[in-house]
Amino acid sequence: MSILIFMKPSDEKKKSKARPAGKRDRNKERTKEKILAAALELFRENGLTGTTTKQISEKAGIAEGTLFNYFKTKEDLALFFFQKETNDLVQWYGREAQLQRAPLPEKLFAIIHRQLEYISPYEDFIGEVFFRSLQPQSKLSPLSLESQELRLKYLRFVREVLAEAEEKEEIPLVGDLGAYAVGLFYIGIVTHWLHDPSRGKQKTLALLDRSLKLATRVLKKGGWDW
Amino acid sequence: MKSPRQSIGRAARLAHLGAGIAGSYLAYQLQRPFLDESQNAERRRALGRKNARQIREDLQVMRGPIMKLGQAMSMQTHIFDADVVEELAGLQMQAPPMHPSLMRAQFKGALGKFPEEVFRAFEPEPFAAASLGQVHWAVTKRGEEVAVKIQYPAIREAIETDFKMLRAAGFAARLTGHLQESVVAEVERGILEETDYLKEARNLEFFGERLAPLDYLSVPKVYRELSCEQVLTMSRVRGLRMQEFLKTNPSQESRDRLGVGLTRLFFFQLFRVGALHADPHPGNFLLNPDGRIGLVDFGCVKYLKPEVVRCYAQFWSREWAHDTALYAEIIRVIFGANVPTDAPRVRRCMNEIRRFYDEFHPLGNTSVALELADPKFMDGLNQLAKTLLKNKFLSPDFVFLSRAESGMCNLLHALKARVPTTQIAREWMPPV
Repeated sequence: MSILIFMKPSDEKKKSKARPAGKRDRNKERTKEKILAAALELFRENGLTGTTTKQISEKAGIAEGTLFNYFKTKEDLALFFFQKETNDLVQWYGREAQLQRAPLPEKLFAIIHRQLEYISPYEDFIGEVFFRSLQPQSKLSPLSLESQELRLKYLRFVREVLAEAEEKEEIPLVGDLGAYAVGLFYIGIVTHWLHDPSRGKQKTLALLDRSLKLATRVLKKGGWDW
Repeated sequence: MKSPRQSIGRAARLAHLGAGIAGSYLAYQLQRPFLDESQNAERRRALGRKNARQIREDLQVMRGPIMKLGQAMSMQTHIFDADVVEELAGLQMQAPPMHPSLMRAQFKGALGKFPEEVFRAFEPEPFAAASLGQVHWAVTKRGEEVAVKIQYPAIREAIETDFKMLRAAGFAARLTGHLQESVVAEVERGILEETDYLKEARNLEFFGERLAPLDYLSVPKVYRELSCEQVLTMSRVRGLRMQEFLKTNPSQESRDRLGVGLTRLFFFQLFRVGALHADPHPGNFLLNPDGRIGLVDFGCVKYLKPEVVRCYAQFWSREWAHDTALYAEIIRVIFGANVPTDAPRVRRCMNEIRRFYDEFHPLGNTSVALELADPKFMDGLNQLAKTLLKNKFLSPDFVFLSRAESGMCNLLHALKARVPTTQIAREWMPPV
């Protein structure tokens, strides 16, 4: 039984079925994206810590007060970045018909690589976010209340990818734990990626490929015993 | 960042590979003198087969360096029998592929764009596995057919780690029982060079230009703007690999023409170019019934010192058999000053080499075509290789030269060609 799959997302499905997004919602979303674009550019130049909310609001062309209506802190901005990243990932996977037929190690490789590609222009920013997320009081911490929705969305997505492989009997039943394991694996890979000096992050690619193949093989052979 | 897990896994595999062979092939080698002759061949074959399969399986999982070392050994040292060499030769074509997602990721990491962004068409399934990567067909934006070689990520780092471990474990020495450190170092250098595709690009351009006088020969053209250290884009060269070519039941005339072409290629490289395509794997020669030959894979190339080339000519002339000064000079070039020229083991090897050359390049009537299908050539070659190994008659400068030469013999034999080898050798041979 999967808690992840039973817990239907509170936001997108209900909302999109109940009523189409109104003009106000769309405007709001557009402003948030404008702020994020401005912020990311500044983060790239000065880092997360080195950027002030004043600079962000100036760059985005809005009043500083308006900025706070949308994002209470810079960490909220970072969370929004990852929400967008996860949305992009889920939508992209839905379009990749060929990939959906590929073996599990390739699917997971492609998914994680897509995530790395998404964050790669903002490497320094991601590094800082990672550092901050290690502090338990941070909103970015994977244990924080604020990051739960984002986290669940990602885990649910991974859970569904794993469920496809379970159905095809590529792997034994791994349950929700499989999704949590992939989530943790992803964090490990990003850490490796951040420290990887090789051209085109080749060492991370090799590590990713080999460890996914290894994991799948281990699962296939030994299975998993509750 | 080094991944310790990866290293441990490799070390474990190495230990397994070492143990597997030490457990049977080497143990067998040791007791061989005590077995009688008829039993010998039978048993050796059985053991060889079993081991070769295990080696191949292990090497395939390892990819990269150990696999190349296995091939190099099978090509250079003849410690394996012909059927084992055949088993090992399969390696080059059978490496596990990168799946399309990894291939795209690696391509993007290397060239900054995905393949579909820079090519008009790109075949996501590889048509061949190279030992360090794989090769895909593609069509450029201008409509030219090309082969795109893509390297498995971080292979160079893996090779460096592996050789460090090979040395630490004394693995190579244990495995072969014959190879000296200087030879292993030469193999390592050659393998590491193969990881830089730009080096290969330079080799391709060099050979493309220098081999132009051989009008039957084609060398792929490099697309510099679509190449880097890990990606090499080349024009497509036509022809069939040896095994496929033989399946078409080619006429004797075709075989002879190709045989002559391959022999000319070797001696032209040696005496006119001063550099050798040193990876004589049959898959690197693309054969056409009209005698045209495509030469691919210039990852492993040896640029020869002039004195080595001159030494080969002196050697070939066999005049040293009655000329003591010439004999001493040859030994000095091969071994440096370390080996006394009158050492009996050296004399034994030189005589063995002369016997082989008398068969393969008879000095008398030079226009006679040799029947290379005759098994005596391969037997002679194997016998020679064993003698040389047993007596440690190995020199780094000559490793690749002899690899290319025995590769040529293998090809001519497989082709069952008739070739006037002596006449061809003399065509460009400098005076001694």
